[in-house]
Amino acid sequence: MDFRYSQDQLDLIDAAANVLSGENTVERLRAFAADPTTICKSENSLWQQFAELGLFGFMAPESLGGLAQPLEVMVGVAESAGYVGLPEPLIEVAGISVPLLNELGFEDELTAVALGELSVGVISALQTYQSNAHFHDSFLVAGAGVDNLQSRSSLKLTPCNSIDPLRQLTRVELALKQNALADRANLHGAVLSAAQLLGLSRRMIDMSVEYAKERKQFGKPIGSFQAIKHHLANAYTQLEFARPMVQLAALQGGVAVHNAKIAAIDTATLIAETAIQVHGGMGYTYEVDLHLFMKRAWALSAEWGDRNYHMRKLEQYLFTDGATLGASQTFS
Amino acid sequence: MNINFTQEQQRFRAEVRAWLADNVPAERLPSFDTAEGFELHREWEKKLAAGNWGNVNWPIEYGGRGLDLISWLIFEEEYYRADAPLRVSQNGIFLLAPTIMEFGSDEQKARFLPPMAAGDEIWAQAWSEPGAGSDMAAITSKAERDGDHYVITGQKTWSSRAVFADWCFGLFRTEAGSERHKGLSKILVPLDSHGLTRRPIAQLDGDPGFAELFFDEVRVPVANLLGPEHGGWGVAMATAGFERGLLLRSPARFQEAAARLVRLYQSHKHRLASGVGEQVVQAWMNAERFCAATYQLVARVQAGASISSESSANKLFWSEMDKHLHRTAMSIMGAQAELQEGLDAIDNGRWLDGYMFSLAGPIYAGTNEVQRNILAERVLGLPR
Ligand SMILES: Cc1cc2nc3c(=O)[nH]c(=O)nc-3n(C[C@H](O)[C@H](O)[C@H](O)COP(=O)(O)OP(=O)(O)OC[C@H]3O[C@@H](n4cnc5c(N)ncnc54)[C@H](O)[C@@H]3O)c2cc1C
Repeated sequence: MDFRYSQDQLDLIDAAANVLSGENTVERLRAFAADPTTICKSENSLWQQFAELGLFGFMAPESLGGLAQPLEVMVGVAESAGYVGLPEPLIEVAGISVPLLNELGFEDELTAVALGELSVGVISALQTYQSNAHFHDSFLVAGAGVDNLQSRSSLKLTPCNSIDPLRQLTRVELALKQNALADRANLHGAVLSAAQLLGLSRRMIDMSVEYAKERKQFGKPIGSFQAIKHHLANAYTQLEFARPMVQLAALQGGVAVHNAKIAAIDTATLIAETAIQVHGGMGYTYEVDLHLFMKRAWALSAEWGDRNYHMRKLEQYLFTDGATLGASQTFS
Repeated sequence: MNINFTQEQQRFRAEVRAWLADNVPAERLPSFDTAEGFELHREWEKKLAAGNWGNVNWPIEYGGRGLDLISWLIFEEEYYRADAPLRVSQNGIFLLAPTIMEFGSDEQKARFLPPMAAGDEIWAQAWSEPGAGSDMAAITSKAERDGDHYVITGQKTWSSRAVFADWCFGLFRTEAGSERHKGLSKILVPLDSHGLTRRPIAQLDGDPGFAELFFDEVRVPVANLLGPEHGGWGVAMATAGFERGLLLRSPARFQEAAARLVRLYQSHKHRLASGVGEQVVQAWMNAERFCAATYQLVARVQAGASISSESSANKLFWSEMDKHLHRTAMSIMGAQAELQEGLDAIDNGRWLDGYMFSLAGPIYAGTNEVQRNILAERVLGLPR
């Protein structure tokens, strides 16, 4: 029993974090926000760097040239992607599509994805709204007859309008059933969206702490007021008790996933509200960067099952005779 | 105690209801934080004024009906029940007008109140500065006396709808060398004045709902001073009291939002977790409690009580209630919560807009942290 990342795992996570924070600056986000249709993989040097670092093959088997990393390590990468507000679907492709492509035996496609040449998204009953679908060449469609890969051009996608300026949102016009493949996609999707929410939360805390040190009122930094300190300390505490749950969910699956996603949703919601409060009037503008992270947090909160979906799963689990409860059952 | 409306009050309610039924636009107007929406809301203000419904509690000579605050509450109830447009004139009619009635000269009342009531002059508030938000006594913009004019130089910010409005009421340092709360004055300034530049600031939703105002030797007649020269702090505090205490947010707004929340819950119930129902009930209870407290407050005010520091509790209650109510709506909508107007956007994105605006509630009209300090120190008497 040693519930920590190993040094090798930490090195991988750090390497990914360095690439992400190096290039994906707020200026880059602002440029994309002005026109999210420009978020593409062609002439995208960051996407190329992901390929060079082996990030797309992060979870692919070694026999196919992958790094065969488990979901909990991907969680660390997803946190970094959240922290920088990455608009590209790195986490969806590497953390959800790749394991599923592997499972379904799409080896050629896997190779092309690993090189960064092909991008594959996932559509399931819980993911009928697609973010930046234009980025992908094709989609794994779960729960519409035979699970299969379909080209983007063969799908009917109707535009809708997300508050997140980095999400070009569309609705998938397909009737879908929840099936085994969709369940597996959802396991990865819920855990990795939770991990991104943790990263977004940390970013909003850091931005708020920075601001609270700089902004002066009544002749003092506002961070010296106890009210502000307590807001931020509460935010930090929520986050610290969400993170291990998300990592555990990646290791265990099952009910831990629902707990983890709800923890991440509640954490991100609270922290977004805290961050805007600490920023005062500044936080209510489009000019200050905070809103980019806040809006992404709202959007990711409902991906791969909203709060109700996960809460109902837990209610079903807990309020049934024979649920495993009490001490000594969390770990086996 | 008597909790029954008089027959006259009931007749008044029926009259308001009938007029609104005939006149409220069938479609919701576009946001008043846009140029187009602002003018459409101004048109609506004019229509209200033409029916003499804009300010029922104002004296008749200034464009009101001379009614009491209970009638105003009844009007508000009917207004929100009819889902009538938000009041684009709110800064004028709810904040400035009571201040003019208390501190203004007869000439000022006659000059400023009727066009405000008519929707011809729409007002913005120009208090905050980049360095003076919560700490408003740190205001540095100055108004120097030059004969029968003030010459104003400095910068204001976060002025709601000042991009489109006609006038602003500002707080400026009139006494050279004065510090903190002393030496400030409240001055009324036309927003198209020579030397005044307005820079729009986009709010969370991208609309230019704020303006930054740059004053470069803007000349205004001394007649535009409201209240005592150098005594602007007291005048401003009275305005803030009206804002926080009663007028800006009447219970009807939240009761109608809670009613819409109940309907939203009903239509999504089949997929919601069990605890959501309790949150919805909580939102409804909060709105009912706010209504009860407000009727009691109004009764006290009509009996001669003045609202002072306890207005901070009022502001805390409604802003936290509003945030909770809209957060609950967001969680009900699930994957549709992020949708703005367009395909699949429930109520055309109104809940999302409402949630974002509810996040501003604990910031404007004095932040909630500062309100808690005021309550703790001035009402509860805790040491500073
Ligand atoms: C939607 C909206 C509309 C507005 N409209 C107008 C308008 O029309 N006209 C106008 O003049 N202004 C307007 N404002 C500005 C508003 O009045 C200020 O934002 C507010 O006073 C806070 O000031 P600030 O933004 O500078 O925040 P700051 O004062 O910098 O506060 C930042 C944070 O520090 C906290 N803080 C500050 N001092 C203390 C303390 N002593 N103890 C504990 N915590 C403290 C605050 O509570 C807040 O959480 C508007 C703001 C918003 C959001």
